Amino acid sequence: QSSSTSSMSGLKLSGDKPIQIESDKLEVRQNENLAIFTGNVSVVQGPTLLKAGSMKVYYVKKPEAAGKDKKPAEDAGVSPISGGANIDHLEIDGKVYIKSDDQVATGDSGTFDMKSQVLVLSGKKVVLSQGPNVLVGCKLTVQMQTGLAQVDACGGRVMMSLTPNSKNAQ
Amino acid sequence: MELARPVEIAGSDVGAAMAQPEPNPVRVTAFGRARQHSQRVRVLKLLLPLAAVLIAVAFPVYSYWSAPPAVDVPTDTSAFSDGKLVMANPKLEGMTRENLRYALSALRAVQSVDNENIVELEDIHAKLPVTAANTATIGASHGIYDREKNTLDLDQEINISTTDGVVAKLKSAFLDMGKGTMTTDEPIDITRKGSQITADTMSVKDNGKVLVFENRVRLNIDPATLQAGKQQGGE
Repeated sequence: QSSSTSSMSGLKLSGDKPIQIESDKLEVRQNENLAIFTGNVSVVQGPTLLKAGSMKVYYVKKPEAAGKDKKPAEDAGVSPISGGANIDHLEIDGKVYIKSDDQVATGDSGTFDMKSQVLVLSGKKVVLSQGPNVLVGCKLTVQMQTGLAQVDACGGRVMMSLTPNSKNAQ
Repeated sequence: MELARPVEIAGSDVGAAMAQPEPNPVRVTAFGRARQHSQRVRVLKLLLPLAAVLIAVAFPVYSYWSAPPAVDVPTDTSAFSDGKLVMANPKLEGMTRENLRYALSALRAVQSVDNENIVELEDIHAKLPVTAANTATIGASHGIYDREKNTLDLDQEINISTTDGVVAKLKSAFLDMGKGTMTTDEPIDITRKGSQITADTMSVKDNGKVLVFENRVRLNIDPATLQAGKQQGGE
């Protein structure tokens, strides 16, 4: 199973810029610490843009204070409105499109884990392109902090086409 | 009986006496007195009925004239104004299905007589429990409370703030106290610690556990709060 790693930087999550999420509908389930955005969801942060059919945001559940007196957990109402809630991970599906600076990645669905800052895009045909260079496979893993992207062919072949002179053209 | 007969005899004498010489004095005084009596009777016959009529007329006129034009019955400030019952700062408290206390008070409550279930409230202040530790305080300038269905229709500007720091501004809202739901189909704006949600409609289900925003939902998260969130999580 050949996989090629190429360090295409760019798909980074700039932590300090405000995030703006837009969608047709948002349902927040406080008990399940879950927020579901549906209907052409778009997430913008600095240069990074993500578009998808729907996005589920899972928040960190407050660990039950075992043993301590059964005081109801303070911020039981964990939700995007509460802003401060820290996100555990996101699940994105319905034709995912991620663009950051000059890199574009598309796939059928994806997950993004906040703690490890790893974005995984999967689908029949996952494409990562930077300018004219294109990488096609069935699974794309991007370390958002470093921008390191890795495409797996999961059995098939990774198709990568580099246009040499494009490297220095940028 | 004795009296009746002599009168007839006298009658015939009078005719005969006219031509005779001077009658005797006893008959003359009797006749004088009789004539005076009949004069008095003739006068009284006129005077008495007249006096009766006069009295009959004078009495109603006098009583009408002496009655006061208007009688003002002193009453205390009645709580009725143009057919409506007006209550000053009413209070209402109850328990939602999760057995959490909710309270509703207002500056004025106006209740129309024909349908006492509908109460119009002004300057409303309500406390709705979201969770045991988190209650929402709602302020609205005007609303209509339906006692039967236990619902509150706020049709003007509403400000909501919860103990966990959420501040919400709504244009109108329909609250169902018993079920603990709230819906609004006018734009909302909710902020908390720097992050903000705006949407065209919102509905809150079972006491704030489930919130559904629809149409042009936009959520801005300010990373500072995210960082704060992480530190909190990191402890």
